Amino acid sequence: MTRLPLVALALLAAMGLPACKIVKTPFPGEGGAIVAGEAGDDARIAALLDETLDATLLPLIREKAVALADLRSALAGGLDAAGATYGNRGAGEGAAWNFAVKGAGKVIAANLESRARKAELDTDGDGKADVTLQLGPVIKGSSLRDAVALFNFGDFRDQIEFAKLGRVINDRVSAGLKLPESDLIGQTLNFTGAVTLTKASDPLLVTAIEVTP
Amino acid sequence: MNMKRRLLMTVMAAAMAGALPSLAAAADTIAIITPSHDNPFFKAEADGAAAKAKELGYEVMVLVHDDDANKQSELFDSAIAAGVKAIILDNAGADASVAAVQKAKDAGIPSFLIDREITATGVAVSQIVSNNYQGAQLGAEEFVKLMGETGEYAELIGKESDTNAGIRSKGYHDVIDQYPDLKMVASQTANWSQTEAYTVMESMLQANPGIKGVISGNDTMAMGAWAALEAAGRTDVIVVGFDGSNDVRDSIAKGGIKATVLQPAYAQAQMAVMQADTFIKTGSTGVDEKQLMDCVLINADNAAKLETFALSE
Repeated sequence: MTRLPLVALALLAAMGLPACKIVKTPFPGEGGAIVAGEAGDDARIAALLDETLDATLLPLIREKAVALADLRSALAGGLDAAGATYGNRGAGEGAAWNFAVKGAGKVIAANLESRARKAELDTDGDGKADVTLQLGPVIKGSSLRDAVALFNFGDFRDQIEFAKLGRVINDRVSAGLKLPESDLIGQTLNFTGAVTLTKASDPLLVTAIEVTP
Repeated sequence: MNMKRRLLMTVMAAAMAGALPSLAAAADTIAIITPSHDNPFFKAEADGAAAKAKELGYEVMVLVHDDDANKQSELFDSAIAAGVKAIILDNAGADASVAAVQKAKDAGIPSFLIDREITATGVAVSQIVSNNYQGAQLGAEEFVKLMGETGEYAELIGKESDTNAGIRSKGYHDVIDQYPDLKMVASQTANWSQTEAYTVMESMLQANPGIKGVISGNDTMAMGAWAALEAAGRTDVIVVGFDGSNDVRDSIAKGGIKATVLQPAYAQAQMAVMQADTFIKTGSTGVDEKQLMDCVLINADNAAKLETFALSE
């Protein structure tokens, strides 16, 4: 019989704990007001990225970007060691390592027909492709979100909101990506971007933030 | 049978302990509360947690809430009354579970959540969340590739009350909807059930004979859909599931279902117990409360390495 008040107390306690960090009074139609919960995700993420994408995230990726050759040598000593030196880990033990990277390579193959456009580059001069650049508009993964220690899973309501953040970053970055006009094959491209690795031998799938001839 | 009987006995033992708290001398017991073990995924979780707890010298109290928040609340009462040292929980609802976990916290018992997250932080000690959204994206990317980025497809959705049903569906559509030539012609829940998926697939096929692919919210529904497709002589249809069950692994090996997504249930449950052990001994886990665990794509390339929700190197 003491259960009821206990449950009520627990409920009260639960209600006192905000599920979201940014809670503004929802006045639909009024500028700046973002509703709490999932309904406000799009607006909240847009506001967050208006503030942080160009001002913080992309400069951080450029600043932290490790040269591909250095990343390769570090990976020879194991993923965890390379990660500790150059990477950022996702939330949780056993999470993937993410790296901001930069490099240059000759385009061996390209698929610009797919919605997930890709260019395969030879970056070590052996004539074989060893890096795949993701060029959008469909981008796999959340390498850009996780490449540097800026966004923390624990600060978001749940995996949905966190995933939406990753998606909007991908969309904005790939929409802003300028590719050389002419046929890519045979060209040498310089790129900056981010890559996610779960083991040292994973193929390098780089989400590009910049590609220049 | 054996398992069910054992379960029943544990539940009864728990109920008795609840009724007679003075007898509950249970020194160093860890409670493991999950959805029904009828789904092998949750059984793998409970087995993984129990094995690790015993290895670390704990007794275990294994309970199932059947995705019923009221039942979960009662199980928490039993665990609290039994004086367990920690609770490992795969919860029965993101909002509804907050109160139960808070109740344990108020009683001085830390909770360690696996698989599904709850909508509050600071109540559980750890939330080791399966990144279902990322997993669904992986499955969808493979699906899109297998479909050649074009064609009609159907979606089987899980049980609505389960948070992960919605998360997976959103993750699928996050990817698939970026391909305008992929057209969803049917979408229906089959409540995680194999038999229900069989029936739903049959009627979907009748209404939409042009279906080229089926993306399913879990493996049991994928198995049901595949059986219906086989019966209709439509083994050309591409089916992708989610969970990484042995059944789907075997189907992939035989060229049936094309892919699934593994949630490392066994390893995740073990990790939760290790964090509980560290917390019991030191008062801290040393890691963030919310931890996101990535899922892994399983297809013909790596299916052979899969066994009971764990992938060998």
